[in-house]
Amino acid sequence: MAASLFSVISRFLEEYTNTTPNKLKLVDAYLLYILLTGAFQFLYCLLVGTFPFNSFLSGFISCVGSFILAVCLRIQINPHNKGDFLTVSPERAFADFLFANTVLHLVVVNFIG
Amino acid sequence: MSISPWILPSCLLSSLVLSGLVLGAHALTPSHHLAASDVARLEAVLSQSFTDLQSAYYSIVGLNKLGVSVADTDEACRFLQSNVDPTSIASLFYAAEASQSLSGCEIPVSNETRDFLLAAVSEDSTISQIHNSVSTLSSLGLPLASQEVVSALTSRITKEDNVYAITLALQTAAHLSQQADLSGILEEIEDLAARLDDLGGVYLQFEEGLEATALFVTAAYALSDHVDMEPPLKEDQVIQLVNSIFSKKSWDSLSEAFSVACAAAALSNNRFHVPVIVSALGPATVSHRQPLLQLQVTNVLCDPLTSASVVVESASSVTTKSAILNQSPFSLRDGIFELNFMNSQPASGYYQFAVAVTGDSRLVANHIELKVKVSTEVVISNMDLSVVDKDQSIGTKTTRVDYPSKAKNSFVADSHQNFAMSFQLVDVNTGVELTPHQTFVRLHNQKTGQEVVFVAEPDSKNLYKFELDTAERKSEFDSISGTYALYLIVGDATLENPILWNVADVVLKFLDEEAPATVQTKTLYVPKPEIKHLFREPEKRPPTVVSNTFTALVLSPFLLLLILWIKLGANISNFSFSPSCILFHVGHAAMLGLMYVYWTHLNMFQTLKYLAILGSFTFLAGNRMLAQKAVKRYLRLSTCNKLTSKKGCNLPQGTG
Repeated sequence: MAASLFSVISRFLEEYTNTTPNKLKLVDAYLLYILLTGAFQFLYCLLVGTFPFNSFLSGFISCVGSFILAVCLRIQINPHNKGDFLTVSPERAFADFLFANTVLHLVVVNFIG
Repeated sequence: MSISPWILPSCLLSSLVLSGLVLGAHALTPSHHLAASDVARLEAVLSQSFTDLQSAYYSIVGLNKLGVSVADTDEACRFLQSNVDPTSIASLFYAAEASQSLSGCEIPVSNETRDFLLAAVSEDSTISQIHNSVSTLSSLGLPLASQEVVSALTSRITKEDNVYAITLALQTAAHLSQQADLSGILEEIEDLAARLDDLGGVYLQFEEGLEATALFVTAAYALSDHVDMEPPLKEDQVIQLVNSIFSKKSWDSLSEAFSVACAAAALSNNRFHVPVIVSALGPATVSHRQPLLQLQVTNVLCDPLTSASVVVESASSVTTKSAILNQSPFSLRDGIFELNFMNSQPASGYYQFAVAVTGDSRLVANHIELKVKVSTEVVISNMDLSVVDKDQSIGTKTTRVDYPSKAKNSFVADSHQNFAMSFQLVDVNTGVELTPHQTFVRLHNQKTGQEVVFVAEPDSKNLYKFELDTAERKSEFDSISGTYALYLIVGDATLENPILWNVADVVLKFLDEEAPATVQTKTLYVPKPEIKHLFREPEKRPPTVVSNTFTALVLSPFLLLLILWIKLGANISNFSFSPSCILFHVGHAAMLGLMYVYWTHLNMFQTLKYLAILGSFTFLAGNRMLAQKAVKRYLRLSTCNKLTSKKGCNLPQGTG
C-alpha cells in the first residue's frame, strides 16, 4: 500500500515538474508560501491561545483570501483554460488579482488592530 | 305616556341634588381662634401708654371694644383734650371717638370747628376725610346732612377704588341716618367681598393684609347692623375670615392690634353671624378617674356662650361604628359645658362625637366633630409560665405568677425544651378582654447586655400566648447561654397604666460549641470595610520568547518563497525600464507602504483618501505597463507562429 502511494506521489511530482509552465510554478511557489504562513499562524493560535482574537482572525483570513485570489489567478493564466477565459487576458487576470488583493489587505489591516 | 320617560331621570336628578346638599352640609369650623391668653396679650398691647393722639385713639377705643376700660380715664381724657388740634380733621376724629369711649369725657368744639367739619363733606375731600368728619360729627352729637354725605361718598368711591377707602366708606355709612338711601353703599360690601382671596379653602383675606381684612369685617357688620340687613357673606366665608384674622397671635403695630380687636368685637356681637368656637378643655380624654368631657363653647372673644344649649347629636365608636349616645345634652358649670360620658359605660378606644350648639339663630359653625378618647387601666390575669418538653413526654408544670411580683424560681430551658407563657389582659373596670397595640416579651441578659424582644400574640379567645423554642431561636440569642431576665411590656394609647413587669428569670442553655468566643456588640454604625474596585485584569500574555519565536516562524515561509522563485528562474532580466513600469512598481510599493502606515498611524478615512490617489495613479501606470506587455506577448506569439522553427522562440512549454 505504501509503495503504491509512494509511486503515485513520485509520478505526480515528475509530471508536475515536466509539464507545468514556469509561470504557473511561480504562482504555485507563492501558494505554498501562503499556505505555510497560514498554517504557522494557526499553530500559534492552538498552542498559545486566541488573544488577541481579532489579530489572529485578520492574519488567518488574509492568508486564506490571498490563497484563494492566487488560485483564481493561476486558473485564469493557465494556457489549458484559455477556452474558458476568452475575454480575460493574463494581464487582465493579473490586474484583477492586484486590485482584489488591495481591497483584501485594506480590510485585513483595518481588522488587525 | 310621554311624561313617564322623563319622570325617572328627574327623580334621579333630584335625589342626586338632595344627596349633594346633605353631603355638603358638613360645614367648616374655625381652625384658628384666639385663646384666653391671646386675648390677654391683645389687651396688653392696647394698654401701652399713649405717645400721641392716634395711639391714644387706638388704645382707648380698642380696649373699649374688648370690654375693658383704660387704666386711668381722667388722665386719658385730659390727654385727649390737651392734644387735640382743631385744624386737623384726623386729630378731631381721634379725640372725638376716644372721648366717646371714655365715660364723662367731653371735647369742647367751637362753631368754627363744626363748620370746618361740615365743609369737609364734599366731593373734593378724600373718603378718609369724609369718614373722619362724619364720625366726629356723629360722636359729638352734631347734626349732619346724610344725603349729602351719601352723594359725596358715591362719587368718591368711583375715584378711589382701593380696599381701605371703600371700607372707610362703609364705616361712614354706618353713622348716617336710616332714612338716607344707603343701598348703593350697601352693594359695596358684596363687591368688596368678591375681592377677598381664598387660600386653600381655609383662609379668606385681602392681599393688602390682615388689617384691611379686619377693618372690612368691622365695617361690614357695622353697616349691616345699622340697616338691619344680613351681609352677603356665606357661613363658610365667615369662618374663613375668622381663620384669617385670628391666625396671627402677636401683632406688628398698634393699628393692627386695634383692627383685630374691632373685628373680634364685631364678630362676637352683631345681629347676624356669631361664630362659635368649641374646644375641649385639656385633652379630650375620659376615664374612670376623669369621667367628665369638658368643652369650652365661646365666641371669638373667648366669652362663654352661657345662653346656648350644647348637645351631643351622636357619639359612635371609631372601630365598631356602633352609636353610644344620641341627643344627650351638656350641662353648664362655671362657664364650662360638661358631660359625664362614663355613665354610658363605653369600652376603651376612640369615639367620634358630633356636637351641636343651638339656642341662637345667629350662631355660625355650630356643628362640630370631635374625637374623644376613652382610656382605661389594664390588669394582667392568669399569667402562667411553664417549660414544655418538645416531645411532650414529660408533663408540663405551670407556675402562676401574680403582678407585680416575680416568680421565685428561675426556669431552665435547653434545646430540647420550649419555654411557654400565657396570660390575659383585662380591663379593670369592665372585665372585658383587651388587645393593646404593644405586648412585647423582652429577654435581657444582664451579663452581656444582650436584649431580644418578641411579640406575644392573642389567639381567637383573646388569650395571649408566647412560646420560646430554644433551638429555633438560637440565632437571635447568638447561642449564648445564661440567665435572661424576662420582662413583659404592655402599652397602648388608651391605657393609663402601661406595664413593664419583670416576670421571671429564664436560664437558656444552648449547645456550647455554637457560642461565639466573645460577644460582638453589633457594629451597626461604624464605618464599613472599604470596597476596593477591581479593575479588569489584562489578559495573560505569553512570554516574549514564545511570541518572537513564532513571529520568526511565520515570516520564514517568505524566505522559502524567494529561494523557490530564484530556483525556478524567475525572469527578472525581462524587466523593462519603461517609465510606466517603474511608476507602476513605485506606486504599488507606495500602496504597500500606505498599508503599513494605516496600521500604525491612520484611520480608515485618511487611508481611503490616500489610497484613492495612489490607486488611481498605480492603475494608470499599471494599465499602460500591462498593455505594453500584452502587445509584446502578442507580437512574440505571432512571430513564433510565423517562424515555428526559429530558435529564439521563447514559447512556454505546453502552450497551444
